Amino acid sequence: MTEPVTAAAQAPGTTTGTTAPRPTDAVIRIRDLGKSFDGRRVLDDVSLDVPRGRIVSIIGQSGGGKTTLLRCVNLLERPDTGTIEVAGETVHSDGRIVCRDLARLRRTVGMVFQRFHLFPHLTAVENVMLAQVKAGVPERQALERAVVLLRRVGLAHRGLAHPDQMSGGEQQRVAIARALALKPEVLLFDEPTSSLDPEATREVLWVMRELAEEGMTMMLVTHELPFAREVSDWVAFVDGGRIIEAGPPAEVLGRPQQARTRAFLTTYESAE
Amino acid sequence: MTTAAGLFQVPWSDYRSDLLDALLKTVSYTAVSFAGAALLGLVVALLRLSRVWPLRALAAVYTELFKNIPLLAIIFLTYFGLGSVDIRLDVFTAGCLSLIVFYSAYLSEIFRAAISGIHDGQTEAGEALGLGRLSVFGHVIFPQALRLALPGTNTMLVDLLKGTSLLVTISAAELMSEARLITSSTFRALEVYLVISAVYFALCYPLSQLLLAVERAIRAGKPLTPGRRRRLSTARALLAEAPAPAGTPSPKEATA
Repeated sequence: MTEPVTAAAQAPGTTTGTTAPRPTDAVIRIRDLGKSFDGRRVLDDVSLDVPRGRIVSIIGQSGGGKTTLLRCVNLLERPDTGTIEVAGETVHSDGRIVCRDLARLRRTVGMVFQRFHLFPHLTAVENVMLAQVKAGVPERQALERAVVLLRRVGLAHRGLAHPDQMSGGEQQRVAIARALALKPEVLLFDEPTSSLDPEATREVLWVMRELAEEGMTMMLVTHELPFAREVSDWVAFVDGGRIIEAGPPAEVLGRPQQARTRAFLTTYESAE
Repeated sequence: MTTAAGLFQVPWSDYRSDLLDALLKTVSYTAVSFAGAALLGLVVALLRLSRVWPLRALAAVYTELFKNIPLLAIIFLTYFGLGSVDIRLDVFTAGCLSLIVFYSAYLSEIFRAAISGIHDGQTEAGEALGLGRLSVFGHVIFPQALRLALPGTNTMLVDLLKGTSLLVTISAAELMSEARLITSSTFRALEVYLVISAVYFALCYPLSQLLLAVERAIRAGKPLTPGRRRRLSTARALLAEAPAPAGTPSPKEATA
C-alpha cells in the first residue's frame, strides 16, 4: 500500500493519522472497505486500524454493519471493494481474496461468536483441541494446551462436559479458549455477551479483561458500552455502514462530536 | 391342542443347514446392500446440497425416480429387464443392486435433511478455526448429521432386511426363497411361513434394539471408539491435576 489513504474523505478521526503509511504495527488494517447485500450498502468506505496489543471496539445500532465489518477480517464475509491487511499481509483487495493460505489467515485471527457455536458433539476439551490437531499439533500437546486454556478461563472442572451441559457463560468461555488454541495474533469478538444473562456476561467480561491485561490484540463488536469504555483503546461508532466517529473511548463515549453518536448514546442510556 | 400339535409337522432338523445358509444369504444381502445404499445415499445427499445446479438436479431426479417405483419393479427390471437386453447380472449382484438403488434414494433424503439441519454457524466456527472444507465436513458437520440421521437410518436398515424377502421373486436363496422351497416339498404353508416370520422377527427385533442402544449412547456423548476413549481418559487425568503440568507453556506464553 503505497498510495496515501484518504482518511479525510471519511468522518474525522477514523483512525489515528492514517494519511501516512505506517510500519506494520497494525495487526489489522482495513482501507476503504465496501460491501453491499442485494443492493443495500452495508459497508461504505470503512477504514480502521487495530494496532498490536490494542483493543478496538465497534459500537452502534444493530444492522449498522458492525458485524459485517468484523466478519470481513477473517473473510467469513467477502467485501466488494477496499483492502484488508492482517499481520502485514494483504489478504483481500478489491473484491478478490489475495490471501494464498486462508487456513493460515484464520489461525492468525481467532473469532468468538455471539451464539458461541461450540461443536455440540465434542466435550469442552475436544472443542479446544480440534483445530490444533488439524493444524498438525501432536495430540498429546494439543490436549495439554487445551487443558491450560480451559484452566485459564476457569473451566478446568468442566473440561469433559458437552456444550449442552454447560451454561451460556461457560460455553462462551470455552469458545474463547477455543479461539486462543492456535495462538492467534488478534481475537475478533462478535457481540460476545449479547445472548447472555448478566451473571454470564460478568464471567465472560472477566475473561476478556484478563486477556486485555495480558496484551492480547482484540477487535470487538459490543453493546456493553461500560465495558468498551473500560478496556478499549479506541472506539468506533458505526452507523449506516460508515464509521461516523472514532477515537479514544473517553471522547467518543464521553464527548461525542457527531449528532448521530449522541443520539445513539442517548437511546442506549435511556434503554439501560 | 390338536391344532397346535397338528401345526408343527415339518421335519425342521432336516432343513437346518439349508436354513442356516439362507439366513447367511439374507444377512449378506442386507449388509452389502445397506453399505452400498448408505454410501450412495450420502453421495446423492451431497450432490443435492451442491452449489452446482446440474448436480443438484441430477440428484433430485435420481431420488424422486427410485423413491416412486416399487422395489419389486426395480428387482424385475435389473434381473429380468436387463437380462432381456443381454446385460446378465447374477442373482446376488442384481439383488444387491436393486436394494442399493431403492434404499439409497430414501437414505439420501434422510441424510440431506440431517446435513441441512446443522446450523450454518457450525461451518463458520470450523472455518474461523482454519479448518479446510473436508475437515469441516468430516469433523464438524458429519458427526452431528449422523446423530440426526440415525433414527431414520436405523428404520431403513431394518426395513431393508425385511425387504430382502422380495428377492424370493428372483430365487435369491435367502430366507423367503428357502421357505418357498420347504413349502413346496411339504405343502405346509402356514407352519413354514410362521416359522420364517419368527426368524425374521428374531433378526429384526434385536437389531433395532441394538441400534436404539447405539443411538442413546451417542446422544449421551459416550465415546464409541477406543481412540476417543483414550483421549478422554488422558484429558480427565490432566484436568484433575492442580497446577499446569510441567513442560506446557505458561498461560502468559500461551497467548503470545
